Order: sequence, then C-alpha cells, then structure tokens
Amino acid sequence: MTLTLAGVGYRYAGASQAALLDVDLELRGGEVVGLAGASESGKTTLCLVAAGLAPRAIGGLLRGRIAIDGADIDAWPMHRLSQQVGIGFQSPANQLSQVAVTAFEEVAFGPMNLALPRDEVLGRTWGALETLGIVDLAERDPRRLSGGQQQLLAIAGLIAMRPAHLVLDEPTAQLDPQGTRLVTDALARLAADGASILVAEQKADVLAALTSRTVVLAAGRVVLTGATEDVLGDPRLPELGVTPPAAVRMRHALRGAGVDAGLLDEALAGA
Amino acid sequence: MARSDRLSAVAGHGLPDFLGRTGPTAYHRLNPLTKATIATTSAVAAVAVGGLIGPAVLLALAVIAPALAAGVLRDLVRTSVLLALPIAISVLVVNLFFYPEGQTELFRIGPVVATAEGLRFAVEILARIMAISGAVTLFYLTTRPSDLVIDLERRGISSRVAFVANASVQTVPAMVERAGQITDAQRARGLDTEGSVWRRLRGIVPIVGPVILGSIAEVEERTMALEARGFTRPGRRTLLWAPADRPAEAFVRWALLVGVVALIVVRLAGILP
Amino acid sequence: MVVRWIAAVVAFVATLVIGIVAAGGSFTDYEAALAAFPWITAAAVIVSFAVYAAIEFAQTGAVTSVARQFGTRTIVLMPIAIAVNVVLGQTVAAALKIPIYLDSIGTIIVGALAGPIAGALTGLLSNLLWTYVLPPPFHSDFAAPFAITAVVIGLFAGVFGRAGLLRPRPGSRIPQLALAAVIALVVVGGLAAWTYGEFYSESFSLDAFTFFNPTPDVPPDPVLVVIGWLIAGLLAAAVIGFLLLLIVRRDAGVAYVVVAGAITGVVAAMLSAPIAANLFGGVTGAGTDFLVAFFRQQGSDVLTASFQQGLISDPIDKITTFLLVFIIVAALPARMKARFPQGERLVEVGEEVAPDDDGWRGATA
Repeated sequence: MTLTLAGVGYRYAGASQAALLDVDLELRGGEVVGLAGASESGKTTLCLVAAGLAPRAIGGLLRGRIAIDGADIDAWPMHRLSQQVGIGFQSPANQLSQVAVTAFEEVAFGPMNLALPRDEVLGRTWGALETLGIVDLAERDPRRLSGGQQQLLAIAGLIAMRPAHLVLDEPTAQLDPQGTRLVTDALARLAADGASILVAEQKADVLAALTSRTVVLAAGRVVLTGATEDVLGDPRLPELGVTPPAAVRMRHALRGAGVDAGLLDEALAGA
Repeated sequence: MARSDRLSAVAGHGLPDFLGRTGPTAYHRLNPLTKATIATTSAVAAVAVGGLIGPAVLLALAVIAPALAAGVLRDLVRTSVLLALPIAISVLVVNLFFYPEGQTELFRIGPVVATAEGLRFAVEILARIMAISGAVTLFYLTTRPSDLVIDLERRGISSRVAFVANASVQTVPAMVERAGQITDAQRARGLDTEGSVWRRLRGIVPIVGPVILGSIAEVEERTMALEARGFTRPGRRTLLWAPADRPAEAFVRWALLVGVVALIVVRLAGILP
Repeated sequence: MVVRWIAAVVAFVATLVIGIVAAGGSFTDYEAALAAFPWITAAAVIVSFAVYAAIEFAQTGAVTSVARQFGTRTIVLMPIAIAVNVVLGQTVAAALKIPIYLDSIGTIIVGALAGPIAGALTGLLSNLLWTYVLPPPFHSDFAAPFAITAVVIGLFAGVFGRAGLLRPRPGSRIPQLALAAVIALVVVGGLAAWTYGEFYSESFSLDAFTFFNPTPDVPPDPVLVVIGWLIAGLLAAAVIGFLLLLIVRRDAGVAYVVVAGAITGVVAAMLSAPIAANLFGGVTGAGTDFLVAFFRQQGSDVLTASFQQGLISDPIDKITTFLLVFIIVAALPARMKARFPQGERLVEVGEEVAPDDDGWRGATA
C-alpha cells in the first residue's frame, strides 16, 4: 500500500504564495517516516494534502499527482480516502467527536460513520483499544482524560478505520512530558507491529526514536531527505530551523571544543 | 473481578455492558419517544382544556402518578417548582394587580387594586404552567438525553441532525466552562464583574466576544477531524444499540396523539366550556 | 435562480395574506388574525420553502442549494451556535432583568454564515433541545412552543446575509453613509409608526403625551407626560447615537444591520406575543413582565398587552443581537468566513479569494 506524492504543490484559498511546491514523497507500507522543519515550513500542509483534507475539506488549489498504489485519488471522496489514510492533529481535545460519552463510543465513531455491520464495528473498536493499550479507559468520559490519553484515543479512533497509512501532525506538541512519553511509546509499538506512519515533529528526539527515514521541509519545499541518523546529524539543520537531538548537539559541541566524540558515541551505545 | 480484568475479558466480545444500560424502574425503561409523547400530549392537553380542574387532573394523572411509580417525585417537585418559580411570581403579580377586566376588589396597595377575577385567572395560568413544567420535568428526570436522540436516529432522523443534538449536549457545559476561564482571565486584567447593571452589561462584551470567537476558531480543526473519520459519508450510520420499543407502547403513543387532537377539536368547536 | 427567490417570497406573502383573510381579518384590519399569526407564519414558511424547492428541482433536477448549506463545517458550527443561544439566553436574561434576551445570537450567526435553511434549523433545534434534551441547569420547560419564532429569525438572518445586509463596509464615503442613514431611519421610522398606529394608539394617543395637544384645556395626566418626554428623549438619543456611530465607525454596514434587526424584531414580536399570551397569559418570567403589567394597567387585554410588550423588547433585542453578530463576524478572518456557504457575503469587498492558475485545480470530490 504505497502513497505517492509527485510534484505536489498546494495553495491555501485566498493565498498569493504556495504553501507547498514540488514535493515528492513516497510512503511505503511498514515504514515510519519523519517530517521535520521550522514552523510554517509546510509540515501541517503536507499532512493535510497527504490525507486528502486539502483541498477537500478546506478548499484551496492543488497541483501535481497523488496516488495510492498507482491509482490517482483526485476523485475519491473524503470518506473513502479516510479509510486509506488516517490523520491525527495536535490538539487532543479538538479531535473528540463531542457525541461520545465513553471512550468506547469515541473510538467506534469512525466505523459507525462507515455504516459497517454492528459486529464489525464492535470488533474493530475493541481491537483498536487493545492495540493502543487503553482498554481500561473504555468506560471513561473522553473529556476527562489527560491530553496524552486523549491523543491515544484519537489515534485509536483512526486505527479503527483500518487505514493503510497514518499521518500524525505533531501529536505531542500540546502534551506534557508524561503525555509525550505515553504517545511515543504507543507509536513505537505500532511501528514495531509494522504500521505505516508519517509523523511531523518538532522534537528531534522523538524523530530519532521512531523513524527510519526523515524528510526536512523549508518554505514548502523538500530540502533534505534520507535515513534519519544522517538527516538529524546534518550540520545544516539549525539554519533550517530544526533543533537537532540532544546527542547530536552534544557531539557537535564536543567536536567544536576539540574533544574526541568517539567516547560519547561509545557511552551512548552502551546506554 | 477488577474493572480492567472484566473489560479485558469482555473485549472483543460484543457490546460493553456500560452501553445501553436501562433504568431502575419500569417507567424509566419505557421507550424515550413514549415518554416524550406523554410529556408533550400532557402539556398540550393542559393548555387545550384550560380552566383549573383540567390541568389539575392532568397533573395528578400524567405527572404525579408516574413520578411516584418512577420514584422521582421529590426531585420532580423540587426541580419543577424551582424552574417555574420566576414565571409563577410574574403571573401572580401581574394578573392579581393588573387585571383591568376585574371588578371584585379584594384589597388595595396604594394605587394598584387586587381583583378576584385576576386571582382566578392567575391561578388558572399557574395550574397550566405547573402541568407543563411537571410533564417536561418528569420526562428529563426519567430519560437520558442521548437515549431520545438515539431512538429518533433509529427511527429515521438524519445522522447529521442527531450529531447536532448530541454535540449540543456536550458543547453547552464546555462553553460555560470556557466562559468561566475567560471571566477569570479578564478579572485578572481588571474587569469589573460586580456592581451596577450598566457595569455588568459592559462586562459581558469582553467575555462573550472571546467565548464565541474562540469557539468559532475551533470549527476549522473540528471539521477536519470529523471528515477524517468518515463523517462525509452520506446516508445512515450504524448504531451500536437502541432503546427497546414494544407494540403496546406504540399503541399508547398513537392513542395519546389521537386523544389530544380530539381534545383540541372539541375545544375549538366549543363543546367544552 | 432569481426566479426561485422571487417565487418563494411571493408564495410567502400570498400564504400570509390568505391566512390573515381566512382568520377573519382583511388588508387594513388584521386584528382578528393576530392571534393566529404563528400558525399562519408557519404555514407561509412551509409553503414558500416547498415552492422554492419545487422550482429548483424543476430547473436543475436536484435541490442542492439546501444540501450545500449543510456541509460538515455548518454541522460543526450548529452545536456551538445552539450552545451560545442557550448559555447567553439563560445567563443574560436571568442576570440582567432588562428587555434583552440574547438567545438568538447563535441562530443569526448560522443564518448569516451558512444560509436561511441552516439558520432556521438551528433555531428549531435550539428551542426543541432546550426543552427536550438539555439537562438542567441548561434546561427550559417553556422554550419549545417558541420554536417557530426561532425558525423565522434564522430564516431572516440567512436571507439578510445573502442579500449582503450584514457585510462590513469600512471606510464608506459620506454619500454612502448618508444613504445608509436615510434608509435606516426611513425603515425603522416606518416600522415604528406602523406598530404605533396598530398597537399603541388605542391605549395612548399622542395627545396624551401633550406633544401635539390641540385642546390645552384638557388637563393631562402627569405620569403620562413624564413618560412621554422620557420616550421622546430615548428615541432622540437612539437616533443621535446611531448617527454618531455611523460617523465615528465610517461603516455604512451598521445602518443596514440596524434595519435587519428592526425588521426581524418586529416579526419576532408578532410571532411570540400570541404564543406567550395564549400559553402563559402574556408573561414569560423574563425581566420584561413589568411592561406587560404597565400595559395591562392601561386597559389592554392580554393579547394586546403581549404585543405591546413584545414590540418594544423584541426590536431592541434583535437590533442588539444583530449588531453583536456584525461585530463578531467582522472580527473573523476572511479566509475562515469564505469557507462557509454564505461567508463571502460577509466579507468586505476587496478581501477576495485568488483565482485559478496553470495546473492548479480545486477539490473535485
């Protein structure tokens, strides 16, 4: 199940500048790909375009080709696309459907909308709750959960749609360290199970932990792409507005001070 | 068994037990549409019959008796009286003293005269108000709001209308909470919320504005989140469960409807006083 | 498309007229029909909608203009609007005890942004949910019967929004401001004169206020004289305040918004008064009941007193509400407004959306 973006550009409605230009991206099954870049570099826009919400839900103009397994998705309506590509957002509370009184119903919301048979809905809901490890939250009121728990709930709701790809736009941005831990652990488990995820993140440590490949955006264009260690170790990162992971910064600092960074690498490898 | 163990055991085995829980008494377990029909027809009948005896009888039969059966009589009296109090006071004061059609003077306070006819009119209106208030209060004391919406959706109401109804139930308290937060923030900036009417009026704008604007600003993200979960699919959606209905209840509903319509016709035709 | 709108309006007016005549009134004397006004209006709304839908179906084979008003965005906005109605209606009216309800802000916002049918549905659901679904403390036992008023308010807000009455017009030049002011004063003045003639002149003649007293040897009632001068002062202050507002803000839109509010207020009063009179003897537990008492003291019967009270408080409430909506909507970014079905009508001319270019395409699904 490959999602391909070829030469994709996007302009928001009423905007004079394009928010994305000439983006080529391929998401193959089972990969976790990171998306990095300064704020306003186009990360969110790329997520919206990949999921089909731009232009379907928000208007605007698109250029280029988006395909799933080679088939052009231009004519696919949003509810069909939502079963191929799921998208999660930064704000935990704004993703709640607001019609569910229990977390169970919240997760079931998507499958219910798809008019699947009742047993199928129930099966998928339980499955999603188990995958995210939140079965014990099933009876809780979604509005009373912590930010991290609500994000897990949101991701469970997406998984219940059984999409081939998951696109997550800075899922830990509005979370405290505990919530961030909760979400990244869950994502790591999903990744280990072979999920296909595109995750946009400002926190380079999260990218380092989760992703195998990273794409860096600046001003709506792809400027760096490659294996995550290489990309995150690239010296151009700071001028692109991305803070490298702590280990990388420390290595650069040590090197700059003339100290052999090999000791640091050994120490980190042993940790 | 611990809660989470029980849930895990049930996991993958169908509808969780916390969904579709039915009420404690037989009246609670009636279908929500039946209870809504009872409430509406009682209220309409109270208005149609008029006078004093009619609403009082309705109150006894259609409100107090079921409330007793459902065990909510105390709550009903308390809530109903509280809710109807402001309007009851108005009705009494306005009609007692300001009833120009009245001739029989009861007593006098300064320039205003209390009349017997005014008192009678006020009491009639009060009886009607209590009947309406009681009927509606009985309804929501014995019915969960979402149950009525689910039942209506099962019967064919559009999924989108059902969504609006359900979401409203959650949005109202959320908005009050947000208004509270904004009030605190504005107070910290020196907003005066006590004092004269004029000052309080001016204090409303810096609260109402941000509350409404903040809520509207969320519309964009919420729209996208919903569409990402298949919301745009036209047609019906699957319901996990629906309140039970029985043929006997359907018969009762129709009987009540026909009865009320007959009552209105009879009343309009002038057969009853 | 204009054909549809004209046909709908004609059908609306025609049903109103037929209803009034059937209820026993005539063109000049509609007293007998006033009590039946809510029913007649409900019928008129249904008939005009049916005519509109039928013509659109005949023209295009589908009724998309209605469906278009109910995209996901509108559906998401509606619960927010309903919540605003309920929260403001419950707290403001209860706390302030003045003749403002503010319980239709949400309805008008939806009407303006999404369209008349969406606004009407928001009003309907607001009142029904308020009674049947919302749990206390946001519960009102008596809101449901007034649903027809809320429906019409939403309908009018949608039509006014569509017609561009709610568009901000900052930086208007003097001639535009003058024209707007004149239109507003004529419409509002005309409405005031008509309602005065219909509903108030029997209880109070202008003479009683000694403004135009042709027989100075009849001693005037001091209370009425004082009240008369108070009312005159208030009216003068309102007009002057309105003109100052226009000049200071240089926004001719203010005048049109006042027109929209005045018309909606009068219609809302005509609808609510019979309902309140028949159900509750004219009082609603709101702060306006003292007005009812006052008018009853003057000798009006219940129905007339209800009208007299409503025709004072509803226009004030609706004008205030429309002005609030105008300010709120003007504060929204143009991009956000434009994504709503009628949002472009609320955007200042000049804040336009960019056109297509080579290779760029819009949504096709």
